[in-house]
Amino acid sequence: MISTLQKTIRPVWAVRGLHKSAVEVLKRPDPEDTVTASYGRFISEVKPQHLSSLVLHRSKRMVLDSIGVGLIGSTTDVFELALQHCQHMYAPDDISSVYGRRGSRLSPTLAAFVNGVATHSMDFDDTWHPATHPSGAVLPAVLALSDMMPNSKPSGPDFLLAFNVGIEIQGRLMRFSHEAHNIPKRFHPPSVVGTMGSAAACARLLSLDHSQCSHALAIAASLSGAPMANAATQSKPLHIGNASRLGLEAALLASRGLEASPLVLDAVAGVAGFDAFYEDYVPEPLESPNDGHVFLLEEQDMGFKRFPAHLGMHWVADAAASVHKLLVGLGPGTVSPSQLQDILLRVPKSKYINRPFPESEHEARHSFQFNACSALLDGEVTVQSFTPAALRRPDLLALLSRVRVEHPHDNPANFNSMYGEVQVTLVEGEILKGRCDTFYGHWRNPLTNESLRKKFRNNAGAVLRSEQVEGLIDVVGGLDTLGDCRDLLSQLQ
Amino acid sequence: MLCKGITESFGAAIHALNTTKLTDGVISRSKRMMLDTLGVGLIGSRTAVFNKALTYSQSFKSDERSSVWGKSQITLPPPYAAFVNGIAVHSMDFDDTWHPATHPSGAVLPALLALAETLPSRPSGLDLLLAFNVGIEVQGRLLRFSREAFNIPERFHPPSVVGVMGSAAASAKLLALSPAECIHALAIAASSAGAPLANAATQTKPLHIGNAARRGLEAAQLAQMGLEGNPAILDIPSGFGVYYKDYSPSAMTVPASGDFKWMLEDQDIALKRIPAHLGMHWVVDAALAARAKLENTARNFDLGQIRRVTLRVPSSKYVDCPLPSTEHQARHSFQFNASSALLDNKVTVSSFSEAQINRPALKELLSKVKVETPKDNQPSFDKMYCEVEIETDQGQSYAARCDTFYGHWRKPLSQEDLVDKFIVNASSVLCSEGVEGLIDVVGNMESERMLNPGFISQVDKQSTGAVLQPAKIVNIRLE
Repeated sequence: MISTLQKTIRPVWAVRGLHKSAVEVLKRPDPEDTVTASYGRFISEVKPQHLSSLVLHRSKRMVLDSIGVGLIGSTTDVFELALQHCQHMYAPDDISSVYGRRGSRLSPTLAAFVNGVATHSMDFDDTWHPATHPSGAVLPAVLALSDMMPNSKPSGPDFLLAFNVGIEIQGRLMRFSHEAHNIPKRFHPPSVVGTMGSAAACARLLSLDHSQCSHALAIAASLSGAPMANAATQSKPLHIGNASRLGLEAALLASRGLEASPLVLDAVAGVAGFDAFYEDYVPEPLESPNDGHVFLLEEQDMGFKRFPAHLGMHWVADAAASVHKLLVGLGPGTVSPSQLQDILLRVPKSKYINRPFPESEHEARHSFQFNACSALLDGEVTVQSFTPAALRRPDLLALLSRVRVEHPHDNPANFNSMYGEVQVTLVEGEILKGRCDTFYGHWRNPLTNESLRKKFRNNAGAVLRSEQVEGLIDVVGGLDTLGDCRDLLSQLQ
Repeated sequence: MLCKGITESFGAAIHALNTTKLTDGVISRSKRMMLDTLGVGLIGSRTAVFNKALTYSQSFKSDERSSVWGKSQITLPPPYAAFVNGIAVHSMDFDDTWHPATHPSGAVLPALLALAETLPSRPSGLDLLLAFNVGIEVQGRLLRFSREAFNIPERFHPPSVVGVMGSAAASAKLLALSPAECIHALAIAASSAGAPLANAATQTKPLHIGNAARRGLEAAQLAQMGLEGNPAILDIPSGFGVYYKDYSPSAMTVPASGDFKWMLEDQDIALKRIPAHLGMHWVVDAALAARAKLENTARNFDLGQIRRVTLRVPSSKYVDCPLPSTEHQARHSFQFNASSALLDNKVTVSSFSEAQINRPALKELLSKVKVETPKDNQPSFDKMYCEVEIETDQGQSYAARCDTFYGHWRKPLSQEDLVDKFIVNASSVLCSEGVEGLIDVVGNMESERMLNPGFISQVDKQSTGAVLQPAKIVNIRLE
């Protein structure tokens, strides 16, 4: 009965009364009134002109950073493994390009997969509040899909629109629960909202109708969700890779007419939809883009990382760096473990980033202790801080054995409110303290365009020639006026 | 992090289990499951959802190719063969169901057959049976890690949670991975688990099984290539425990000498007679019995004389659908299945076609159906019952109750009826030599020294395209 009220864009209110049967019908909402339907409509109706110049500016920065991080990520072992898997289990295809590998192309979903893995392989990609890594789940899929489009590639504005839809949907979904506002404990957020964002972005780029857009989201929900236990392991980057790939797959299946739950985002008692992933869940409909809708990116900027480690590490690294400066000022110019008796870290309570003696690069990127000690020794944490040699440095290991961790009650496990404090006791007894409330790169203290480009040049330059690097900076900078994103697509390898 | 060695024990067990540990009982039961799964997959290869998935999957290129059940000319990359064949198996909700609740075979067999076609040397029938049973056993073990799993689900669709783990375990066994690799296969698979229940009763539900098969296979392959995940994935609450509200894992041990106690030996499986959610089988059996009472008593029996039909069922929202509009909803509707049984005196594959769903007579009967959820009716496939009470205009009342439908693990299908079901299903796609051939291959599986894993597409095949033979299965045996 309900689905026979078919695909009218504007609900025909008068029709609602006609189809009630005498039987006590389950109290189902009018199909056009659901949260799920509102999301489908938004995705299908939003246009490039709905993007403000601030949102365009911020999202272009995200695109640039994400590409750079993906390019340097293409030098990692986990990327290599994922790529070989795709090339062996499937076969090279000539459709969608692979970051940093000239001549390598794969089927679109597989390209989205490996490029997503690359993006998250070093935990170097952007982070938002509420917490997730939004771009890595969306950009690889949008790029792969653009490569797939047969005759004309999307324009720059259409490309940016799809990207922003993918980001927006993620942000909106995370606001459905309090749980999402804190550092995660159960599901790794990119695996939950990232898949949905990718599906939304791809549905937008494919210009699916509102019903297909809803189904894309619902199909994606059945592909979401990975446990936190795999964070800090080599499998973590696959969470982003799979989010990107499976969101694209969901949109492609929806475009072929596959249907799923029309209530996936709504909370139906006794039958979990998207709320399966959260302990508390209150969904809100998304207003029409023509009804005063404001993109979340307008109100909440993105955090970019200065070094490849979990976001929480950036606070302790900045705090430790300030202590390093003090230590160096005291002479002799470098920091030696023999000077330090005790190192105390005051950080929020979060098991998966509290690792006293990390044994792999993945664990090191998720260790308050490791990052604090690296910054104490070197004054900063960089890409080089996580090499096998760096992980085994005797000086570093000596410092690690002197670290204690406290979890003050006023330090919540929340990227919007946390702080990091490093307190060092010297052998002579003097105590040096450093505290960071907002690291440089946080959304409250964003990287300057110059810093962002410098990061990009370092990353992209590891894999591309400098003309290509500068070419990418230019083309992304002008993406909102680009007639055809072919120029972007051709420069990624 | 608390590491109790549980994941480690699973890795060791998967590696250690060998064909000598297979017992006659487990071989016999698992061959029944294989035959049923193949038949259900073959008829499922004619569904709309299967075709959509197949078209999509054909866009991938690969060097290695595996067979697509029911389509002799088409092959796919192995993970996508597992995907579409798994979808076929679950496409009509006709596949096996276990307790605690899941559909175990559809997540495992498609992955194994697809994988077997890529191996350099052909596995023996016992190898396949072993890997299959490893996949079933691991699922059974995982389902016992929580009380939540013992009841009809509300949050995650169980095949999406344990199915992918079973597929990974089975694939790891067939690939002869090391204990450490088996551990990582499970860990990688865990990141692919968990689909919400809301997509049950929709066209997407079969993808839960298809994806379980595919992604478990991929997890094993990635582990073989050296990808690592969390080696304590089953031990910690932030691992596999995220899918359950209560979670209490325990180790799996294989005695070096002596017998291994397979769960399948203790707890048989339910095979469906009707392509619908398991709960529907109780209500159909009860409805048929109530109808028989009405027919025996009333002289000129006319369904129009029914004033009300009351169903007493366990409380389970996703199978409580008063007026289904799609085949998927109809397969998940106590009301629809009871009404179909009353109207037609049977419920078969054809009961779920669009024409049948939209019959005015059926809709009229549906409008008279009322559902009650008595407190003593527990939402568990081990404990539930269904009562159907028909009230006529004359004020007469005919009621019947079903505690255990025919096909339930407490009352398993006879071998003859199992084979009949297979013949009906497989004949929709294969000619009779092909059908007989498959029955032989599965029947003699433990003696096969070199199994051709593409056997399902090697049988002499012509699509009959014809009307299904009438179901001989409807030999209802009631309490």
